[in-house]
Amino acid sequence: MKKEDTVKLISREGFEFIIDKKAAMVSQTIRNMLTSPGSFAETEHGQVTFPEINTTILEKICQYFYWSLQYASGKETEFHIEPEITLELMMAANYLHT
Amino acid sequence: MQAMYIRVKRNKTTYFIQCDPTETILQMKEKLSNLIDQPANDQQLVLMPAGDVLEDSKSLADQKVENDAVVALTLRKDDNEFEDVNIVKPDDEF
Repeated sequence: MKKEDTVKLISREGFEFIIDKKAAMVSQTIRNMLTSPGSFAETEHGQVTFPEINTTILEKICQYFYWSLQYASGKETEFHIEPEITLELMMAANYLHT
Repeated sequence: MQAMYIRVKRNKTTYFIQCDPTETILQMKEKLSNLIDQPANDQQLVLMPAGDVLEDSKSLADQKVENDAVVALTLRKDDNEFEDVNIVKPDDEF
């Protein structure tokens, strides 16, 4: 596991999540940030800050990225979402094209 | 894509680390050392919420570390002891 293969996602409250680039690419929005040439300064340092997304939601999103990759490779588990975060999670998912 | 991942937490930082149940704790520490610039020897991993210190030579499966598990990372201090577990919880409002 190399540092270059990871990205750091930072929540509104400044909590940091270091995840595989491959997992982050589940999000079309992050994929665009990481792959479009020279357009986002953050991506050169491999970190993206989300001032609109709180820590609990951002962690859930990261868990979803990994679940999504596991599911795609044939593992059929359920993804559990606590009812109280559903609305905010949907808004964040919409923003991230996930 | 590996079979599982664990969430390694220290202070306000979480590392998502992909792994297989057969991998040892030492192998996990070696993966972490690439990310945090701390040698495996200066890391201690603690399974949460139980608080059990994980042993280097044993596998994840041996110590009941499952997919999506939270594992606390503590580092060796100057006095050679390991620091206490510190995971900051977000203070969100819904």
